[in-house]
Amino acid sequence: MKNIRGFATFKYTTLAACALTAMVAMGGANAKTPFTAAEAEDQKNMLLDAVKRGDDLWHNPKLGTNGLACGNCHPDGSATNPHTWPKYQTNLGKVGTLRGMINWCIAVPLLGKPLALDSEDMIAMEAYVMYTHRGVAIAPGKDEQHGAAPVISGPGYPNADSGNR
Amino acid sequence: MKKQSRREFLGMTLKTGAATMFAGMFAPTATSVMGLGGIAHASNKKVSPFTFAVLTDAHLYDIPDHKFDAILEKGVADINSINPRPDFVLYAGDLGQSGKEAELVKGKKILDKLKVPYKIIPGEHDYYLDMGKAWRKLFGDEHWSFDHNGTHIIGMNSILVDDFWSLRNLTPLERMGYMEELECNQCGAWGVHSEQLEWLKKDVKNLSPDTPIVIMTHSPLWDYYPRWNFQTSDAPEIHHILRKFEKVMAIHGHVHQVVYNTIGNISSAGLLSTSWPWPYPPVDLPYPNIKMNRSDPGDFEDGLGGHTIDIAANFDGKLNYRAFSDLLPENVKRGIKL
Repeated sequence: MKNIRGFATFKYTTLAACALTAMVAMGGANAKTPFTAAEAEDQKNMLLDAVKRGDDLWHNPKLGTNGLACGNCHPDGSATNPHTWPKYQTNLGKVGTLRGMINWCIAVPLLGKPLALDSEDMIAMEAYVMYTHRGVAIAPGKDEQHGAAPVISGPGYPNADSGNR
Repeated sequence: MKKQSRREFLGMTLKTGAATMFAGMFAPTATSVMGLGGIAHASNKKVSPFTFAVLTDAHLYDIPDHKFDAILEKGVADINSINPRPDFVLYAGDLGQSGKEAELVKGKKILDKLKVPYKIIPGEHDYYLDMGKAWRKLFGDEHWSFDHNGTHIIGMNSILVDDFWSLRNLTPLERMGYMEELECNQCGAWGVHSEQLEWLKKDVKNLSPDTPIVIMTHSPLWDYYPRWNFQTSDAPEIHHILRKFEKVMAIHGHVHQVVYNTIGNISSAGLLSTSWPWPYPPVDLPYPNIKMNRSDPGDFEDGLGGHTIDIAANFDGKLNYRAFSDLLPENVKRGIKL
């Protein structure tokens, strides 16, 4: 399981989501599930591994060169508005993506080297940001004010933060 | 250093460690030390109007020519450009980012360019590498009070937490690492703790209820958003000690944003940083019209700035945000009544 990360995690997560949708649609007690409870748990844990990895990167100044980390300005992934992407973003000068904006933040405010868009690190960062906004309605386009705040009110997810990351 | 006007320190009763607090900016004069040894009874029917300035949350890094150095320099220059000069400057904590002495030394060097004296309190970023040792060496006591033009001004350290590091054998660097993270879920709730509460009780004991109070802490004295320590756990005790006063103005750093609240006799306002702005947490604001607009990530000065506070003869206070970029709604630009 620990070898399956990145895209694999995404693929299984998507499958799980589809399966869940199918279950909800069928509704009845006879609905089949393609995954056992143990499999579903494994898949959830793989997502949470990515979220944790993203959380650590989010709060780690190693992505930049001036001491700053994403979490300085965006605690709990706030003010990232993941539900509004893709959208026209003035500092990108085009309709861009959340990953593109993450890279802009790494390159400009953090003075770091952008990540490959399909790298495990980038996917982990996206997983963290999306997970802190779970349940927020998708609404592509510019938010006029502050956008949706993260949904977190407690520890967020089962994560003993590592400290000094 | 420019000669200070006599008015700047008339009535200023310097108590705890004032000489070190002003650290080279201020040589005590006969006027300024008059009140030493006794608590001044500010039996004011009226306050002599005055203006002071506030800066906070520079979050300086021990990296040469870091961009935050220039923004703090800008804040200091902005305050120095105000004519007539404010009487003094208050600094609400988080001068450094990682608690390193070099960050605080750099910050002090910049703050020492202020043309009026300043008083400062620690923030968590200044503190948890060496538990405030370097900070105290540079700036003196973590809590203090003085009187100015009939107003009693208090600063307290509100970022104390219970020991979460000893049992886990964390190194000082690890401890600081935890505290550096706003959403640290291991660090616990901040407060001023019992020793400072006892000090505050004594400090205000002999003041008459019509004495105007200004109190500065790093964190807000109300439950705004505890997950980010937008709170002070023993704020209710502070409110209790200060409840005899007709009017208390509380100002706080830490939130890096425009925010306002009133509870009983206490009005409370958040301050802009000179590092980065923070978004509003996922809670309703008590005064939703008093906020700043979204900041532009492409403008490194957006959401940042300094402040002046005007105290009128009837102790109406007015907080003026001096934002470096134009992100304040019109009602906030006109100033916030405290």
